[in-house]
Amino acid sequence: MTLNFLIAPDFAPERFAGWHMLNTVLQRRSGLGLHLITPASAAEQSSLLAEGKVDLIYANPFDATDMIRQQGYLPFARPAKRYDEMVIATGSDAAPRQVEDLKPGCRIALTDNKDVKLIGLRLLEPADITESLVQWVPVDSYQAAARLAIKGEVDAAFFLADAFASLTRMTRSQLHVLVESRISDISHVVLAHPRMAAELPRIQEALLGLGKEAGDADVLDALGLPAGFEAMTHEEAEFMIDLMDTLLD
Amino acid sequence: MALADMTRPAAASVEARLTYTDGTSRTVYATEVEVPFPEGRLIVSRTDLNGIITHANDAFVEMSGYAREELIGAPHHILRHPDMPKIAFKGLWDDIAAGKKWHGYVKNLRKDGAYYWVYATAVPNIRNGQIVGYTSVRRKPSRTRINELIPVYAQWLAEEKAAS
Repeated sequence: MTLNFLIAPDFAPERFAGWHMLNTVLQRRSGLGLHLITPASAAEQSSLLAEGKVDLIYANPFDATDMIRQQGYLPFARPAKRYDEMVIATGSDAAPRQVEDLKPGCRIALTDNKDVKLIGLRLLEPADITESLVQWVPVDSYQAAARLAIKGEVDAAFFLADAFASLTRMTRSQLHVLVESRISDISHVVLAHPRMAAELPRIQEALLGLGKEAGDADVLDALGLPAGFEAMTHEEAEFMIDLMDTLLD
Repeated sequence: MALADMTRPAAASVEARLTYTDGTSRTVYATEVEVPFPEGRLIVSRTDLNGIITHANDAFVEMSGYAREELIGAPHHILRHPDMPKIAFKGLWDDIAAGKKWHGYVKNLRKDGAYYWVYATAVPNIRNGQIVGYTSVRRKPSRTRINELIPVYAQWLAEEKAAS
């Protein structure tokens, strides 16, 4: 029996090898066959889910909302001490020094990342800026967002905090952070399809046990999750969903 | 649950006697000191069906000025500022008890008598079709909106006092 393990497409490209290393370790320790699926886009992820091909998923928290509440997916783990935060930055020479300096009609670069956009919109509220008052400039990567901000072609750019931190030192030196979220309650989650309930304890034990054996640190470092994974109860996931619900408007 | 009267702060303050919806009352002291909302953070709490605090995140604890142990088990109105008119909360309990979301701009009172403004959202925690509690999340508000509301709240408060 081989289970399909899907990784949400919003991870940094340099983590690709880390997910394959994790998949290998989980297979060995759980005794279950795991087939890693790494869709390139949110649309590809959606079609795989719609086809019912996903047994396990490392999900973006906003996608997890529907999967848990509408489709009955079982939350069982999340990255330990690793939250989904975002950064709003502008070019280091640009006039805005804080969020309140941004004006309605400003141009903001952003990637196709729903949680970054949603949290960013909430952080723009003190500047009296709503979604319709922004000229959005879609970009394919955080590097592209940084370039536009540095060149002054946008007034600000939205970044996943982890992606911002992984920009080169040179790039970051040419950017000025207007605000960084410190929510500490929203994270990616690991979910199992309800048909996997019988196999779930073996996978959960293998995942939560990461960090205890020699070589585990290499896997976790490659994933960019040095603290590994921690258990997540259904109620903890529901709490996170309730919190995200308050941010929708 | 009746809250103890506040301790008079060292800074100049205005004394007020607040009566809450559960019928209890206490003396509070409000200073003119405003504490800025912490950048990038959310203030998060949960209550049971009776408005008793069951969870407070670090930002909630820090901004309230109380110790976590003082907050857990206390009624959420421990943060009620005497400048807040009752009508500003109109619909809060009705909305969330009906399964709806509630938003509002709120001036909160700290343990030391200082205050902080928030944009608050409250949602019911629905589990297996039943409301089991409430989550409230406060974020940094628009200063423009607050400045518009300050005279409105003052007027509503004056009308409430005149009517009582």
